[in-house]
Amino acid sequence: MNISRSGIIGLGLAILLFAILPAVSGGQWSKIFTSTACFTLATAGITFMYSRLGLVSLGQVALMGIGGWVMLRMNHAFEFPFEINLAVAAAVTTVFGWILALPALRMRGLYLALITLMAAGGVEIILSTYRFPNGGDGFWGVTSSVSAPFRRPELAQSDTAYLRYVIAITTLGFLLIEAHRRLAPGRAWAMIRRSEAAAYSSGINVLYYKAWAFGLSGLLAGVAGGLLAGTLGLLDPSTFRASESIMLFALAVVGGARFWLGAVIAGVLYRVLPALFNDWGLNADLTLVIFGAALLHAITTAPDGLAGQIINLFRREVKSS
Amino acid sequence: MKSHFFSLLFYVLAMSVLCVLIAWGKPFQVVGMFVVSGMAVGSLYALGGIGLVVLYRATGVLNFASGAIGAFAVMLAWQLGQWGVPAVMTWLAAMPAAIALSLTYGRLIAPGLAWREPVVKAIATLGFALIILGMTAFIWDDDVRKFSLPSDKQAVMVMGLRVTVTRLIVILAAIILVIGIWLYLGKTRMGLQMRALANDRNLSALIGVRILKAETIAWAIAGVIAGFTGLMFGDLIRLEPVVITFLVIPSIAAAICGRLDNLVQVLLGGLTMGVIESLLTLQPTLKDIRPIAPFVIAALALLWMQRGKQLLFARDN
Amino acid sequence: MFKATFCTGLFVAGALLNPASALAAVDCGDNTGKPATGKPIKVGGIHGNAAPGDFSSSTDAAAAYFKCVNANGGIHGRPIEYRVENDQWNPELAAQAASKLVTDEKVIAMVGNGSFVEMSVNAPTYAKSGIMAMASACAVSECFESSNIVSTNQGPLASSIGAAMYAVEKLGAKNISCIGLAIPSVGNWSCGAVEKYMESKGLKGSSVLLNPAAPDVNSGLLEATASGADSILVNLPAGLGIAFLGAAQEQDLAARYSWTSSTPLYDMSVPKALGDYWDGKIFVSAELTRLDGTGPDNMNWKAVMDSYAAKDDPRDTFSQSGYLSAKYFVKTLLAMPEDKLDDRAAVTEAMKGIKGYKSDLACGSYYVGEAKRHMPNHAGIMVVAKNGGFEQVRDCFNYEGPYFSEILETEKALGLN
Repeated sequence: MNISRSGIIGLGLAILLFAILPAVSGGQWSKIFTSTACFTLATAGITFMYSRLGLVSLGQVALMGIGGWVMLRMNHAFEFPFEINLAVAAAVTTVFGWILALPALRMRGLYLALITLMAAGGVEIILSTYRFPNGGDGFWGVTSSVSAPFRRPELAQSDTAYLRYVIAITTLGFLLIEAHRRLAPGRAWAMIRRSEAAAYSSGINVLYYKAWAFGLSGLLAGVAGGLLAGTLGLLDPSTFRASESIMLFALAVVGGARFWLGAVIAGVLYRVLPALFNDWGLNADLTLVIFGAALLHAITTAPDGLAGQIINLFRREVKSS
Repeated sequence: MKSHFFSLLFYVLAMSVLCVLIAWGKPFQVVGMFVVSGMAVGSLYALGGIGLVVLYRATGVLNFASGAIGAFAVMLAWQLGQWGVPAVMTWLAAMPAAIALSLTYGRLIAPGLAWREPVVKAIATLGFALIILGMTAFIWDDDVRKFSLPSDKQAVMVMGLRVTVTRLIVILAAIILVIGIWLYLGKTRMGLQMRALANDRNLSALIGVRILKAETIAWAIAGVIAGFTGLMFGDLIRLEPVVITFLVIPSIAAAICGRLDNLVQVLLGGLTMGVIESLLTLQPTLKDIRPIAPFVIAALALLWMQRGKQLLFARDN
Repeated sequence: MFKATFCTGLFVAGALLNPASALAAVDCGDNTGKPATGKPIKVGGIHGNAAPGDFSSSTDAAAAYFKCVNANGGIHGRPIEYRVENDQWNPELAAQAASKLVTDEKVIAMVGNGSFVEMSVNAPTYAKSGIMAMASACAVSECFESSNIVSTNQGPLASSIGAAMYAVEKLGAKNISCIGLAIPSVGNWSCGAVEKYMESKGLKGSSVLLNPAAPDVNSGLLEATASGADSILVNLPAGLGIAFLGAAQEQDLAARYSWTSSTPLYDMSVPKALGDYWDGKIFVSAELTRLDGTGPDNMNWKAVMDSYAAKDDPRDTFSQSGYLSAKYFVKTLLAMPEDKLDDRAAVTEAMKGIKGYKSDLACGSYYVGEAKRHMPNHAGIMVVAKNGGFEQVRDCFNYEGPYFSEILETEKALGLN
C-alpha cells in the first residue's frame, strides 16, 4: 500500500494537531477547535460526493442535526457509553442518507441540490419544533428545565482530551473516505461520474454505489453531529438551519472539493474565522459582509478552491527550485 | 402540451383531495377562513418563486440574493417614509435601488461565473446575499418597525376573512407576471434570445445574440420583481431584513413546484403550499409542524415530475 | 444611526422636563470621587447582538455603572475590569464565550447577561464552575430554573401572568388565549403557566404557539379566534408581536377582544410602530418600573448612562435591568472582606446571601438564596399604549398563581423577602 505525498502531509498534519493543538488552546479555543473538527468531518462527507460523483448535497448540516439528536436521545434514555451512542447515531444517520439517495437516481446537478435543500428545510422545521433532547420524558425527551448531564467518552472527559479525541476520529473519517477511493466503490464512482451509460454497460450497479456514497456521507455527518453534541452536552436548533447547510456547501466549494485540505479550510472558515472576528469585537453585521465578499471572491477567482491555489503554489515552487 | 395540461390538472386534484382530508369534519365557515388565509400567504410564496424562475429561465442563475435585495429595497422605502417623503415616491425610489443591486451582480459578477455549473452559480449569489444582508442590518440596527401601504386600509370580505387590498394586489401581480412573462419569453425576440442565453451562453454569442443587452434586461427585470416582492413581504409579513432575506427558501420550494420552468405551476404550487400549511392548523397532531408543508409538497412534486427518468447521459438534467 | 437620533431626542426631552437630571450627581459605589487604581477585579458579561435582535443594552448599562464605580473609588480602591462577550445568538459562540470568561479569564462573577440562548447553553457550566450569573435580560426558563443564574428582570412567564391577572381583574376576561413562541423553554413554559393560572381561577385558558421562523401568523390568529377566547395575551418578541397585532388589525379585531401583552412590547418604538389603531387598546405588563419614573434609582440610572455610556446606547428596560444588576453586585462586593474579592467561591457565597435589596426600579425586593431556581422579580406594573407612548394604568402588584406559590414558600422559609 503506497501512501501518496498528499497523504503523508495529511497524516503529518493530523499528528501535529493531535499533539500540539489541545496543549496550546485554552477553554475557549479548545471548544472552537473541537467544533471546527466536527464540521471538517461533515464537510469531508460533502466534498468526496461532489468531486468524485458530481452529486451535490445541500443538506449535510441537517443530517448532522439528526446525528446529534440521536446521540442526545441515546445519552438521556439509556446508560450506554459514549462510543455506543455515537455508533447508533451514525447508523441512524446513514439510513437517512440512503433515503436522500432515492431522489439522486432521477436527478443530478441543481435539481438534486434543491431536493436536498428541501430535505434540509424539513429537518430544520422538525428540529425547531421538537427541539433537542435534554433529559425530559417521552419520545422527544424535552424538558423546559436545565439540561441533564451528558456522558463524554471515558478517555476524553476534559475539554482538551475531547479535542484530541475528535481530531483522532476526524482523521479516521478522512482515512475511511480514502479507503473507499482505493477500493471498488471509488472505481465505480469514477465510472458513474464519467458516464452513467458506460457504468451500466460495464455491469456496475449504479443504484447500489450511489446509495453507498450517500450512506457514507450520512455516516460522516452522523458522527460529526454526535461529536458536536458532546462538545456542549446539548444542541440548539439554530445551529442546524437550512441556510447553514447551504453555507457549509458554499465553503466546501471555496475550500476546494477535490482536496482533503479543502475540507479542513472549509471547517476553519466556518467556525474559526467567525469566532476570531467575534473575539476581536468586530461588528456581527460587518462580519457578514466580509464573509459574503470573501465567499464571492473565492468562488469567482479560484475554481479549484483555496486548497487548489495553495497546492499550485507549492507545485510551482517545487518546479522552479 | 396536452400531457402538461393533464399533469397540472392531476396536481390540482391531488391537492384538493388532500385539503378535503385535512379539513374533514370541521365547520365550513372556519375552513373557508383558513383557506383564504392560506391563499394569502401562498401567493407570497408564489410571488417569490416566480421572481426566481423568471431569472433562472433568462440567465440560468438561481438567485439566492433576491430576498436580500427585496429587504434592502423595503428598508430604504421605510426610511424615506420616515424622513417624510410621500409614499409613492418611496416606492419609486426603492425600485431603482433593487434594480441597481441586481444589475451590479448581473453585469459585474455573473459573467465571470457563466461557465461554472448551475449549483456553483447559485452558491455565488449566496455570497452576494450575505453582503447585502450584512449591509442592511448594519445600516438599520435592530428595532421594531412597521411598513404600511395605503392599500392596507381598504379591504374586502372573502369567506368571512377580511382581505386587504394589498393582499389582492399580490395575487393580481402574481397572475399578471405569469401571463406577462409567458408572453415576453415565449413571443418576443428578446425573450427568445434570453432563453437561448440561459441554455448555452457561448453558443448564443456565436450565433449573434446580443449577450450584454439580454443579460442587462433580464437582471433588471429580476431586480424589479425582487424589489416589489420585498415591499410586499415587508408589508404583509414582517419588516425585518433577516426574515425577508431567508424567505427565499420557501420561495425556492414554490419555484421547485414549477421545475424552475413553468410559471403557472409555480403559482399553483405556491398557493397550494400556503393553503395546506394553513389548513394543517385544524389538525391537532400536525399543527405544530405545519411550516414543513412547503418543503414536503415541493419535494413530492419534483419527485413526481422526474418519475420515469433515468440519467444515462452526462447532459441529462 | 437612527436609534441615536431617537435617543438623543429622549435625552433632550428628559433634560428639558427635568432640568435637574442633566446636572445630577451620580451615586456609584463608595462615591469617593477618586479613580480606583488597585489590582483589577475581573467580572464577565455575555450579551446577544446580531441580526435578529439586540440584547446588548443590559451589558452597556452595567459597563457604564462599573465605569462610574471605578471613577469613585472602585471596590475598596480596586477597579472592576468588565469583560463583555457577544454570543451573536449562536449557542456555540455562547459556550465559547463562557469558556473564555469562566475558564480562561477566571472572572469572579457574571453580571448583566442579556441573551436568548446564553442561559440555556451555559447554565450547567456555571453550576459546575461554582460561578454566579446576575443576569439582566432573560427570556428562557433555564434562566429562572437553574441554581447559578438569577435575574433582575421577570422574563416571559412572570410578565405573562401579570398581564393575565390584569385581563381577568380589570378587563373582565373569562377565556384567555395566550400567543407564545413554540419553544418549550419560552412559549410552552410561560403560556402553560398562564393556562394553569386561569384554571386556578376557575376560568379557561389556551395557548397558540407560533414557530418563530414561520412567515405566516394569520393561521395562529385564526386559531386564537376559533378557540372561544374573549381576551388575547400576546407573549411574543417585539417584532413578531407587531406582526401578530398587524394581522389582528387587518381583521379589525381590536374591539372584539381585550388585548394584553407581556413585557417585550414595552419598548418606546412600539406605540409608533403599532399606529393609532391600537391606541388605548393594548395593555402591556412592564417588568420594571416606568422608563420616565422619578424615583432616585431611575434618575441615577439616567445620570450614570448620560455620564458614562455612549450616546446611542439604548435607554430601555434591559438597560434599567443591567444597571440594577451591576448596582446590587457592587453593593454585595463592598460588603465583602477585601482579601476575599478574588475568590470566586467567596463571591458566590456572598451573592447567595443577598436578600431584601430594594429599588424604585423594581416592584418587589431582590434576593438570591441557596436554591435550585431563582425568580426574585415577580411583581410589576401595567401600562397602556397611548398617544405614541405609554401611560401607567396599574401600580406595583404581586403576581399570583400556582407557579408562584412554591417560590413564595421558599421565600418565607429562607426569610428572604
